[in-house]
Amino acid sequence: MVELSNKTRTAIVQLFAVFVTLILLVIMLFPFFVMLVSMFKSPNEIYHIPPYWFPKDPTFKNFFKVWDTIPLATYFKSSLIIALGTVVLNTLISVPAGYAVARLHFPGKKFILYAFLVTQMFSPVVVVISLFKIVIKIHFIDTYLSVIIADAVFTTPFVIWMLNGYFSGIPKGIEDAARIDGCTRVGALWRVILPIAAPGLVTTIIYTFIYGWNDFIFSLTFLQTGSKYPLTIGLYQFVGRFAVNWGQLLAAAFLAILPVLILFFLVEKQLVSGLAGGAVKE
Amino acid sequence: MSDSVLTVRRKGLGGEATLAYALLAPAVLLMIIFMVYPIFYVFVISLFKTDKLSRIKDFAGFSIYADLLSSKDIWIVIGRSLLWTVTAVLAKTIFGIAIALLLNVKYKGRKIARLLFIIPWASSIPISVMLWRWVLHSEFGLLNHTLKITGLMSNPPVWLGQGGTAFMACLWVDIWIGIPFMALVFLAAMQAVPQTLYEAAKIDGATRYQRFRYVTLPGISAILLIATLLSSLWTFNDFNTIYILTQGGPAGATNILITYVYQNSFEWLKWQKASALSVFTFLILSTVSIIYSRIYFKKEEM
Repeated sequence: MVELSNKTRTAIVQLFAVFVTLILLVIMLFPFFVMLVSMFKSPNEIYHIPPYWFPKDPTFKNFFKVWDTIPLATYFKSSLIIALGTVVLNTLISVPAGYAVARLHFPGKKFILYAFLVTQMFSPVVVVISLFKIVIKIHFIDTYLSVIIADAVFTTPFVIWMLNGYFSGIPKGIEDAARIDGCTRVGALWRVILPIAAPGLVTTIIYTFIYGWNDFIFSLTFLQTGSKYPLTIGLYQFVGRFAVNWGQLLAAAFLAILPVLILFFLVEKQLVSGLAGGAVKE
Repeated sequence: MSDSVLTVRRKGLGGEATLAYALLAPAVLLMIIFMVYPIFYVFVISLFKTDKLSRIKDFAGFSIYADLLSSKDIWIVIGRSLLWTVTAVLAKTIFGIAIALLLNVKYKGRKIARLLFIIPWASSIPISVMLWRWVLHSEFGLLNHTLKITGLMSNPPVWLGQGGTAFMACLWVDIWIGIPFMALVFLAAMQAVPQTLYEAAKIDGATRYQRFRYVTLPGISAILLIATLLSSLWTFNDFNTIYILTQGGPAGATNILITYVYQNSFEWLKWQKASALSVFTFLILSTVSIIYSRIYFKKEEM
């Protein structure tokens, strides 16, 4: 057997890795590739058999026309309201709770943390029937607020766990110093803890924003007026129609995906370590 | 832990605990009203006959549970949910480990490759599932076109048209969404394995496979457990993929428990049955969830 030098072996492994990675990337990114090429096709090209790979005559028309074909601007507005509403409500309830479990001693703390962890896994579908009835009863049906509350509640357990991690990491001494200087506990939370935990807070805010933006089931169930539909439901309705122009739909999908894609990249590392626990802490 | 409890006791439960409960109150209250109570409520509904408007009529006791357990449909759906979850999680784990191993090899551009692999998870999931509707289109979709011209399949099926292929298509899309998380977690875990262990193994003459088998795998085993449990819950819960691709069809062939609940309630208005199914689903989910939490909790405390 010929002894290969270490260098050659490493080179072979690298080449092999690059090759397999490329194949897997083609598979994983295929739908996005299809979106990127098809959204520049005119109706004649997109409905051609056999399909073209690339547009023969690329056009931006889909990006302009889609706003008239479907109420895309309204969908964007609704998605934004739901996402921002979820962020606000979730932050208001999770920050105090996260602070309490991270920095204060009280009987039942372990149980509460454990309860948050278990409820993190609840499926919206399990409670959607009851929530639908509750939402009707309190006259919140067909309001953004119904969707916002549901999304904020369902993101709360995970966010509290994340915040628990961030707040626990801040040295006790800093808080004590602020309190000696005359801050109340809540004052110290506001002026000292929150600014230090800001990067962590940004992560949870982005996470809840994405969750609200991607909401499907609660909007599908609670919203009844077309003008209140967010992008997910609006585009879904559009997909179901026979006379749908896929070129325009894919242009709209691209616009709907872009904001969350960018936001996600900012927080992916923290999300992974938050979800997988101690073993992969950054 | 016991120490801190003692100090609190000594100080008296006064200020600190009261403040803690006050700070926790809004979150806990909202979670009780919109998460815990609804589970209890759905159980109550399942004990009553309901009309189409989901109003509660006559008390029926546990009769619906007896009906469900003796109906063939429900066992088919439960069986399919298990098949769905086990197959998908297995595939996600294998792909995840493979991609993590590839990304762990040092070469130029691997950081970009890593970012590109995340895209399916990072983009709005309901919308990327909609992309698949176009990709899978039997005439205009580029998937069937690719399968034809590469000779992989001379006569590719109308994927979402028949039960069997529709299930495979849904399964693949769910796997596709789940792979990036697995890959990222495993990569992070692999990079946390101390480099010295590999060097020691090398000195002892271990082959590449042996290093994977005896250094990498044990090093990531704990995270493997957590990630697969988490992934099982997500997979079992994946409503969006199936609902957006097929709505459980054709003829119910792609229904898993979670879409079956939704169909029974909001489409067929069989509220009592749907509620009982929700209770079922809840019991299955909480069992796995409690196992996951136990393990996670132990890790956090270490």
